Amino acid sequence: MPENMPETLLTTVPAGWAVLAGMILCALAFFAAALDSALSARAEGAGRGGWLAPAWSTARLLRQRRRTVVAADTLLLRVGAAGMLGGSFLMVAVIPFGRWTLADLDVGVVWFNTVDVMVWALVWLAGWGANSVHGLVGGYRFLAHGLAYELPLMFALVAPAIAAGSLRVSDVAGAQDRLWFAVWMPVAFVIFLVGVTGFSVWGPFAAALGADVAGGVLAELSGVDRLVLQAGRYAFLAAGAAFSVPLFLGGGAGPFLPEWAWVVVKTVAVLAVLVWLRRKLPVFRPDRFLEIGWVVLLPAAVAQDLVVSLVVVWKG
Amino acid sequence: MALMAVLAVVFLFTFHRLTAVDTSPLEVLPAQSGWMPQEHALSRFHVRWYLASIVFLAFDIEMLFMYPWAVIVIERGMSAVVEMFLFLGALLVGVVWAWREGAFRWA
Amino acid sequence: MGLTETLARLAVRATRILVVEAPGQWQTRVELEQQMLRLGWRPAWTPGDADVLAVCGAPGPELAQLVERLWEQMPGPRVRAAVTSPTAVTPALNDAAALLLDTPAHRTDAQERAQKPQIPAVMDHGGHGEMGHHGIDHSGMNHGGHDGMDHTSHGGMDQGQPGDEDHRTMKHEDHHGTDHSSMNHGGHDGMDHGSHRGMDHGDTDQGQPGDEDHHGMNHSGMNHGGHGEMDHSSHGGMDMAPEGIPLAQGGEDRDGLGVDVLHLPLGPVLPFWPAGLVLHCSLQGDVVVAADAAVVDGGSHADGIHSRHSGLVPAAAVRCDNLVALLTLIGTQDLAARARSARDALLHGDPGGARGAVERLHRVVRRSIFVRWSLRGVLPLAPADLERHGLPDRCLGDAYDRVLSLVERVRAEVNGANPGAPVGAERVPWGMVPHLVTGLEIGTVRLAVASLDLDPFPAVHEVGHA
Repeated sequence: MPENMPETLLTTVPAGWAVLAGMILCALAFFAAALDSALSARAEGAGRGGWLAPAWSTARLLRQRRRTVVAADTLLLRVGAAGMLGGSFLMVAVIPFGRWTLADLDVGVVWFNTVDVMVWALVWLAGWGANSVHGLVGGYRFLAHGLAYELPLMFALVAPAIAAGSLRVSDVAGAQDRLWFAVWMPVAFVIFLVGVTGFSVWGPFAAALGADVAGGVLAELSGVDRLVLQAGRYAFLAAGAAFSVPLFLGGGAGPFLPEWAWVVVKTVAVLAVLVWLRRKLPVFRPDRFLEIGWVVLLPAAVAQDLVVSLVVVWKG
Repeated sequence: MALMAVLAVVFLFTFHRLTAVDTSPLEVLPAQSGWMPQEHALSRFHVRWYLASIVFLAFDIEMLFMYPWAVIVIERGMSAVVEMFLFLGALLVGVVWAWREGAFRWA
Repeated sequence: MGLTETLARLAVRATRILVVEAPGQWQTRVELEQQMLRLGWRPAWTPGDADVLAVCGAPGPELAQLVERLWEQMPGPRVRAAVTSPTAVTPALNDAAALLLDTPAHRTDAQERAQKPQIPAVMDHGGHGEMGHHGIDHSGMNHGGHDGMDHTSHGGMDQGQPGDEDHRTMKHEDHHGTDHSSMNHGGHDGMDHGSHRGMDHGDTDQGQPGDEDHHGMNHSGMNHGGHGEMDHSSHGGMDMAPEGIPLAQGGEDRDGLGVDVLHLPLGPVLPFWPAGLVLHCSLQGDVVVAADAAVVDGGSHADGIHSRHSGLVPAAAVRCDNLVALLTLIGTQDLAARARSARDALLHGDPGGARGAVERLHRVVRRSIFVRWSLRGVLPLAPADLERHGLPDRCLGDAYDRVLSLVERVRAEVNGANPGAPVGAERVPWGMVPHLVTGLEIGTVRLAVASLDLDPFPAVHEVGHA
């Protein structure tokens, strides 16, 4: 961990606090799952199964036996599934929680990017390893989606970094004391959220787990294997939402409440929007979205970067 | 945090060993509506978006320059902006060309 | 142990059910879905995610065999529920909930059940026999000729011609050219089950390792028109078939690349898929390069649909159910939920509620750019195509046009403008499906099939006879 403290009064806490960070992440992921199932239950008029349903599902999967398909590549499968949960933990390491952070990397933004690219491998491994056609098709679908959302996401990540002149997450958060980046670079913010849904295999980007391929990557998973993959998706969604706070929403800045509380409030708000949107949007078909990603999102992200750098140069 | 991630996963797997109806994984046939599989699914997959993946690689390499560049824009000023966006502009022309060639459309 | 007990009690609240709908059991399945919703239970999409295997109606011999295999694929705790009629749903679910709690029994089951699937030395006569049979059926091939060919040419090749790579029984294109409409479903279905399967068995010699390859090759070649290259026979033995299942074999794709062909049967137990329909697909990547259609058990269970003729189930409810499938497949959850509530309101005799739900559905589907974007250009059918395939006028246009027309018709019916629309008159002959979907990506295939608004099976089968 780097020892030179930036001027934003950020304290790098000892590694033991990672336990707390992990618990907060799990709580946020549970919130996302609970909100999703509550919205589902309301829309469908289910008699039971609202906010607590994720807890019951967890109990169910913990009780359920694991399976492995004949001649499956079990190691790859397990790495893919468990990696999703593990990866999300890595992602939150660089997110400042108010005045505290676990790791104040001077390339925090790049770190985030690295972890989100890891998801490509994880989802594909889980799909390929199962030795099942549904999983295989699902895994490749995710790669196709990745080709479409990843580059725009990268360019969207660069925009705040240009404005702050730093890749350190705390610097980016500190550079927004007058105006949130989400306000004056809205295109980058939206594309960032698209990317977050993308690497969480969430909603519009859940084609890899689609109903049309009987659950795709999830088709053969049961028991704890299924649990870690599903929990990992929610945790990634939560981590992505949390990362949007220092990057675009001014970090812990806000009146009355302490900084850490603002981080939580903003994260929950972004997370709720992402969860709610799932019900409103169709699954983007990978073949059609590829064109959108390259012809609409990518030029839009590059144009956003251009605008940001011109503004920065003009002002500075 | 990496240690924490490992601990979380290990905890879940250990907990599962205690609570599941059986600890050893069951070996099954792949889900095919109950039909017998005619072959293993692990195979050479027809990746129809290979053209797009090549264009992607070109851009991905570009990102290597983009991150360090983002840090020095303010110092270097206009010249850095012009250089980078001329480069990006050239890449985007490539994208338009690939698009017209149908690289982003699967048939 | 307290922990296990508590966990079981919590787990039962989130039970997932793999629903098997025998042809003709539309009402039972819908009633089951309604009761599941009341309990907060969800459908499982695959056996791997299922706690309960609920079989609606009495499955025929073919479906029963598939159900047996699905049961073997369920991880456990697992419970089986036979739901014979709509009235049997509630007791069946109550029983299942009670049985799921019995942890010691599930522990015993986990230890005593077969720990590995049974993969016969010669892979699965039954399944393949039937697949071969359906392939023949729909390609319009002469049965006698096929049988002869099957025995002689394969027998010979298996032993004597290891390098015969180009031995393709039937070209993909040829398969397409074949006129499905000329076939006689009834005759084939009735006659073939026994004879073809029997023939396979007779052909089989359990003792010879080479036989297995012979069979895999035999059927893939037969069935799927030219994709099973016959080079199996040059590699006798186990290295080509780890765990008794052959490795995928290459075939030329449309660009002339050598890409492996995978065989994936869609249905009969597949969520959001017309119950009973089986589409045996050959996939290269995610593209269906060849397909054959069949109805499980030959559609012989032609009971159950009488209720629709007698007016107990409004046709609009069936239309709404098909909308639920289509809207779920494109991933618009809220719209699907609305279509489902319209369906349930219609079934419960609540025309007011149904009208409200359908009106809103109609408005959203017409305006939503997302629904349009997902469905535009999926399986476009010109008037000439309709004529060629014998499809009704309502199939005109692409999937989006069809969905609009579907919602319009439901709306008209719910508003009483068109009472008792002639349901049977406009059926889509399912034998056409393979022609329509060949060459499409698998997700598009699902959308295309759902957009055709197929009737539940026995009814369609009657048309096949006519």
